[in-house]
Amino acid sequence: MKKSTGIILGIIGTFFLLVIIIVGWGVSTYNGIVSAETTVDEKSSAVRADLQRRSDLIPNLVETVKGYAKHEEQIFTELADARAKLSGAQTVAEQEAANTEISSALSRLLVIVENYPDLKANQNFINLQTQLEGTENRIKVSRLDYNKAVKDYNIRLRRFPSSIIAGMFGFEKADMFEGEEGIESVPNISF
Amino acid sequence: MHCSMSKRIWVLLLPVLLATTFILSGCEEDEALKPTERFFVNDFADVIKPEDEDTIYSQGVGLQEKTGAQVVAVTVKSLDDQDIRDFGVALGREWGLGEEDKNNGVLLLMALDERKISIEVGYGLEGGLTDIETGIILDTYAIPYLKNNDYSTGIQKAYSAIVNEVYIEYGLEPEEGYTPAEEIRNRDEDEENIGSFFGAIVPIILILILIAVFSSRGGRRGGPPFIFMGGRGGFGGGNFRGGSGGSFGGFSGGGGSFGGGGSSRGF
Repeated sequence: MKKSTGIILGIIGTFFLLVIIIVGWGVSTYNGIVSAETTVDEKSSAVRADLQRRSDLIPNLVETVKGYAKHEEQIFTELADARAKLSGAQTVAEQEAANTEISSALSRLLVIVENYPDLKANQNFINLQTQLEGTENRIKVSRLDYNKAVKDYNIRLRRFPSSIIAGMFGFEKADMFEGEEGIESVPNISF
Repeated sequence: MHCSMSKRIWVLLLPVLLATTFILSGCEEDEALKPTERFFVNDFADVIKPEDEDTIYSQGVGLQEKTGAQVVAVTVKSLDDQDIRDFGVALGREWGLGEEDKNNGVLLLMALDERKISIEVGYGLEGGLTDIETGIILDTYAIPYLKNNDYSTGIQKAYSAIVNEVYIEYGLEPEEGYTPAEEIRNRDEDEENIGSFFGAIVPIILILILIAVFSSRGGRRGGPPFIFMGGRGGFGGGNFRGGSGGSFGGFSGGGGSFGGGGSSRGF
């Protein structure tokens, strides 16, 4: 009698211990996924901020270029349209589309600028170009950071056993930016 | 029986696997660029003269001791097809320039084969050292020398300009005779519309003079400090060389990070 009570108590104890361990693991896994998801959101808004930063440079750039190249109206309109699209973008896909438009319009603008040596030598223009370059670099970096965060998050969703928790709570896979490579790795060079 | 066999195989294989991964990861690290003993100047392309290296090193040491910020100069022979800005961000992050909580590192990077130079600014200094200012530093202090293949002077001058800018950002005085990039910028931009510049400045000065005249009864202390502003300071190149003798070679990155601020130029 005494012996069997001990066994039962033992079983119940072990059961509760297991439950506590499993619940504890579940909670910490869940929290891990949530914080990974938060990082993804954070990095995504960093990307958005950098895209906006570039877009905000455009009016100044256009103003400066207009001083030398008034009749290139078409490109100015294109830039304005692309900017409007970016600020109206709701989804990441729309944002990407608008951004690609801005990029291509900007590169065409810089080709046009080649025809105006005075403009190219203008200090305001040089400064704007520097800012543009810096901003584009920031976009690149923030996208890579975003991709890294997405990778970490997606791995948590897919890898067993944390995938069980992810499935239970319905976490969804995040998407990466395409075509941004090259600076993830440490530079390896010969010298 | 079968089970114990496969177990034994695993026991045999495991060390091999571990060793392989260890060797592989070891290899990767060997190829990556490591800072030299004199952390602030890493002349892998071998273009900086010893005396310029000394100047750079002592300025770097002085700056870190006073502000905690790290400015590091690196020259490489080739970027191996990488973009200089990508390379710079990766290197700055890998070496962890600047303090971890402040991200106050700056990397001055020159690639000899590509004939490119860039300044990468850590997150924490992006406000004090804007892209435009880094561009001006390169245009003013580095490019004129680099164009004539005087890499050593170009890098040393640009390095010292960055150090001075960081001093200014930390509210300290720059070296005597140093013209802040912001001033150069204002001057350049004003040359283009000098009329409106005077149009704005003259009335302000007049008003200030009027205020000064009307309120000068209660003792006068306004004038002299402005005049003597530039007089002190003198964070000269060799000044601190002796002071930090104990910590030679003892510098390393503090874990700062980079977000792509800065600029680059070809020469």
